[in-house]
Amino acid sequence: MEPLVIDKVTKHYLREGQPAVEAVKGVSFSVRPGEIFGLLGPNGAGKTTLISVITTLEKPTSGDVTIFGHSVLTEPLKTKMSIGVVPQEIVSSGFFNLEELLQYHSGYYGLRHNLPRIRQLLDRMSLTEHKSKIMRQLSGGMRRRMMIAKALVHSPKVLLLDEPTAGVDVALRNQLWDFVRELRAEGVSIVLTTHYLQEAEELCDRVGIINKGELKYVGPTKEIIKDLTQRKVEVQLRSGQVIPLIMSKGDDLGVILKLQNLKLEDIHDLNIEEGTLEDAFVKVLSL
Amino acid sequence: MIGFIFLFRRECHRFMKVLVQTVLTPLISATLYLLVFGVSLGSQVEIHGAQYLAFLVPGLMMMGLMNNAFQNSSSSLVSSKFTGDIEDLAVVPLTRSQIIWAMSLASVVRGAMVALTTLLVGEAFYYFKYQSFIYPEHPLWLMYFILVGGLVFGQMGLMAAFWAKTFDQLSAVSTFVILPLTYLGGVFMSIESLPEIWRKLSLINPLFYFINGLRYSVLGFSDVDVTHASVLALVFLVLMHFLARRVLSRVSFSRW
Repeated sequence: MEPLVIDKVTKHYLREGQPAVEAVKGVSFSVRPGEIFGLLGPNGAGKTTLISVITTLEKPTSGDVTIFGHSVLTEPLKTKMSIGVVPQEIVSSGFFNLEELLQYHSGYYGLRHNLPRIRQLLDRMSLTEHKSKIMRQLSGGMRRRMMIAKALVHSPKVLLLDEPTAGVDVALRNQLWDFVRELRAEGVSIVLTTHYLQEAEELCDRVGIINKGELKYVGPTKEIIKDLTQRKVEVQLRSGQVIPLIMSKGDDLGVILKLQNLKLEDIHDLNIEEGTLEDAFVKVLSL
Repeated sequence: MIGFIFLFRRECHRFMKVLVQTVLTPLISATLYLLVFGVSLGSQVEIHGAQYLAFLVPGLMMMGLMNNAFQNSSSSLVSSKFTGDIEDLAVVPLTRSQIIWAMSLASVVRGAMVALTTLLVGEAFYYFKYQSFIYPEHPLWLMYFILVGGLVFGQMGLMAAFWAKTFDQLSAVSTFVILPLTYLGGVFMSIESLPEIWRKLSLINPLFYFINGLRYSVLGFSDVDVTHASVLALVFLVLMHFLARRVLSRVSFSRW
């Protein structure tokens, strides 16, 4: 059974005296077991709205979302048990220290004695030495890591990460991505929204690109790059001359070289630069 | 059930962390009321044959209970809206009923702590002035009105907090609804001393029944029949719960 299925989800926001804002328009895709799915799009594309629908924070205007076959509309308690969410905006709960927060959060999921998991997460997020501090006493990066720990406290099978690395420094970001890979290896399905497309390219098995509420593309990350980008080929001749060439999907290098009247014995070296997810992303948005 | 217990414990833990603000401050105002109105101004007044100080104590107990029950749930939710962790309540597997009951029961605990400490302070004043104690006449009714009163105002606070879009809106509910109804509900006086029109108006004030129900529990007399007050209190609770469920199903759990 698919961990997460988004089925023709539409979300309209009504504003008094103004036309309805269509934040999400009939979006459908699914996330497979143990994959990292990157939900990419410019600001205001509808990514966070979609995540809010999955977490039941918002009700869809039409369509449905199912988590392991359970609908968020009719069985929200079952779907909530299976998902963990790291919201985009930082939370700064003022009364409790980190360990207390995680204990209460575990309790909401019916986990009375969850201290070993809590300690493991605090350790994994490099927060053990700060466990007695309240959120306000932490830096932005620490708060974000705490939010990730909170989302994982009940060992969810589906993890939603909405811009989890905004404001986190490079070293910790890498540490976090390693952890995300470990979770994937454990079979957790991860939906990730990020503006760091290079990281998405390295991490995500598949991506969905959303723009103005519409899903423009869904597919394996490698395939989208291959399909929508051009490879830059630099042919260095024995004479020292460098000839830049562009190859699109399906192009035959031999044919291109022939068209350029280049013979194999004249070529000293070939430098092939693959397209990037960023190139593909820009291409999709321009379509 | 475990989720409900943890939310209840969290809400109690929250106000215990700021005990000075949540229990000590209302206690100081109750002490000042007792000192100024009960001991000083009211020393020559008797109502239904009881000293005014004794008459005042249950009124202040219910006033403290109502205000603090209201504030417990409302300030918890409003601060959650402000810090953003209100979204947790929407994404964790808690039902609307569990949220309403856990938060309003925690409000009962805070309200009861304020009410009972007000009683203790009242007892101390009464003892120093009259060398005897006020013995609660009907402890079961006392528990009933504390429980139902705390739940009603806890749920009212919860609704107000979900409705409010700003701190000002929330404080407007306290200032323009709860406060006048409390003062006109018989905390400081018996409605028998009021002109006819005010007496009739008092009868449509829901807080009047809670205040007089508690007064009957402590002193054995009040301006209204206790059965009548207890039934109406229960009706208010059912109504409030119905409204709270409705509000929670319609409002957004989004942060400010």
